[in-house]
Amino acid sequence: MNKNYIFLTVLMLLLALGTFFVPKKQLVSHEVKPEKLLLDITQPSRYVTTDQVAKMIIEHDPTLELIDVRPADEYDKFSLPDAVNVPLKDILTPEGQDNLGIEDMNAVFFSNDDIMSDQAWVISTRLGYKNIYVMKGGLNCWIETIINPVEPPETAPKTAFETYQFRKAAGMYFTGGNSIKTDTGVKKAKIKVRRKKKEKAASGGC
Amino acid sequence: MNKHKINEKPHYLNPYFGGVLLGLLVVVTFYITGRGLGASGSVKSTVVTTVNAIAPQHAENNPYFSKYIPKDKSPMNNWLVYESFGILIGGLLSGVIYGRIKKFRIEHGKHTTSSKRLIFAVLGGALFGFGSQFGRGCTSGAALVGSASFSFGGVIVMLGIFGTGYAVAYFFRKLWI
Amino acid sequence: MGPLIPNEIITGDWNFVIAILIGIAFGFLLEASGFSSSRNLAGVFYGYNFVVLRVFFTAVIVAMVGLLYFDYFGWLDLSKIFILPTYLSPMILGSVIMGIGFVMGGFCPGTSFTAIAIGKMDALFFAIGLFIGIFIFGESFPLFKDYYYSGSMGNVTLTDVTGIAAPWFAFGFTVIALAAFWVSAEIEKKVRKNTKEYKF
Repeated sequence: MNKNYIFLTVLMLLLALGTFFVPKKQLVSHEVKPEKLLLDITQPSRYVTTDQVAKMIIEHDPTLELIDVRPADEYDKFSLPDAVNVPLKDILTPEGQDNLGIEDMNAVFFSNDDIMSDQAWVISTRLGYKNIYVMKGGLNCWIETIINPVEPPETAPKTAFETYQFRKAAGMYFTGGNSIKTDTGVKKAKIKVRRKKKEKAASGGC
Repeated sequence: MNKHKINEKPHYLNPYFGGVLLGLLVVVTFYITGRGLGASGSVKSTVVTTVNAIAPQHAENNPYFSKYIPKDKSPMNNWLVYESFGILIGGLLSGVIYGRIKKFRIEHGKHTTSSKRLIFAVLGGALFGFGSQFGRGCTSGAALVGSASFSFGGVIVMLGIFGTGYAVAYFFRKLWI
Repeated sequence: MGPLIPNEIITGDWNFVIAILIGIAFGFLLEASGFSSSRNLAGVFYGYNFVVLRVFFTAVIVAMVGLLYFDYFGWLDLSKIFILPTYLSPMILGSVIMGIGFVMGGFCPGTSFTAIAIGKMDALFFAIGLFIGIFIFGESFPLFKDYYYSGSMGNVTLTDVTGIAAPWFAFGFTVIALAAFWVSAEIEKKVRKNTKEYKF
C-alpha cells in the first residue's frame, strides 16, 4: 500500500507541476470571422439616433449602457448622463470590455462624431460582443438635435414637428441641470425589463 | 440472522480515490454547467418557499427572502434544489450498496448522550445555516468548489471553517471523543 | 468547448436532469467515502479520522489541476465559469460561525443530506437546524444588511488578488495537501492507538 501511495504522490506532483508548462489558450475562438465582420460593418442597424438615446435616458431605460470613447479629459468636461468613459485605446483591455456583453444590456458607443465610436464598434464586434450600437452623429449631432433643435419650416410634414417637439422637451430635460454627466457610475442593472423596441433609425438625423 | 457483526468496520471507498472522483466531478460540473455544485442554497430555497407559503406578504417585504422569490415559478424550481435532491438519492444508493441503510439511529461520542447530541446537532445546524448566508455557501459550494475554481472568497471560507473548527474543537471534545 | 450549457452546446432544458445526475454522483461519493457519519466528519478535528482532509483536499487539488488542463486542452473556457464572489469581512465571519457549527453539529449541509438518506437522526436534526438558522438570518437581515454587502471585491480569483499565476496555487496546494496526507496518517495511527474504542 505504501508503494502505491508514493507512486500516486509523485504522479500528483508531476501533474501539478505540469500546469506551469501548459500555455494559456488565447480567446481566438471567440473572434468573428472577417466575412461576417464585413457583412456587419455594412449594415446600418448598428446605428441609433440621438432621439432614441434621448428617449432611453429620459425613460431611465435600465438596459442602456452609454460608453463615451473619447479621451478622459474630454469626458470630464462634458458627457451624456450616466455615461461610462472607455477611451478608444482602452477597448482592448479587459477592464475596457467590462461594460460589454452584459446580459440584456445594450451598449451604445458615442464620441464627438462617428469616427471613434464606429472604430470602437468594429473592434468590439470583432471580439465577439453583441448588442452594441453607435450613436449616429455623436455628440455633435446631440447638440444639434437635442440641445439646439432646429425648428422645421412650415412646409415640413407633421412628423417633423412631432420630432421637434420631442427634441425641445428633451433638450429642456437635459439642460435643466441634467446635461452635466451625473456621478452615478456604472449601472449594472440586472432587471429584466420590456425589450427595447427597434425603432427605425429614420426620423431626423444630421 | 445478522450477516454482519454490529461492530464490523463499514466498507468505505479509499478516501484518496473518493477525493479524485469528487475533484473530477467538480471539473465535469463546471464543464457542463459553468457553475459548481453546492448544498446550502437548497435549504435557503426551502426556507424562502416555506415563508412565502405561510406569509407571502412578509416574505415579499423581507429584503433577504424577497430576492429569491422568482416572479413566475416556485423558489424550489432551481438548479441547486434538484441537485440536492440528487444528493439524497446518491446517498441512498451508496447506503444500499454498502449496506448502511439501517433503522433510524443517532450517532454520538462515547461520553455523551443521544439527546445531548441531538440538541447540539440542531444548534450546530442553526449556526452553520446562519453562517452560510454570510459565507455565500457552505463547505461544498464555497469552500470546495470556490477553492477549486481559484476564487479568493472560496479559499477564505475554506480556511475559516477548518481553522475555526480546529480552534474550538477542544471545547466540544466531549461530544465526539 | 465548455462550459456546455452557457455556450448553448446543450440546451438549458437539460439543466435540471443534469443537476439531479450530478447530485446523485456527489451524494454517492460522499456517502461511499464515509461522510454520512458525523463521527467520521468530526474526526478531522481530533485526529482520529482524517477522511475529511483526505477527500476534501484531494478533491480541491484534483479539481484545480483538472481545470487548468481542461483550459489548456481547450475543453473549458475558464473565463466563462462562475467564480464565487468575495465579500471579505462577511465571509470571514460566516466561515468562523460555520466552523463552530461544524464542530457542534458534526455535519455540513451536503453530508447531512447523505446521512439523512441512510437513516441518521442527528443529521435530520442538523438539517432542521440549518433551516432554523437560515430563517433567523433572513428575519434579522435588516439589522446587518449593510454589513452583509460590505467588503465586496467582486468575483476575484487568487490570481486577481495576488498577481500570482494559477499554476503556482495548484502546485502549492498540491504540495501542502500531499504533505498533510503523509503527516496526518502518522497522527491518525498514534491517536487511534490511544483511543481503544473508536467504533464506526
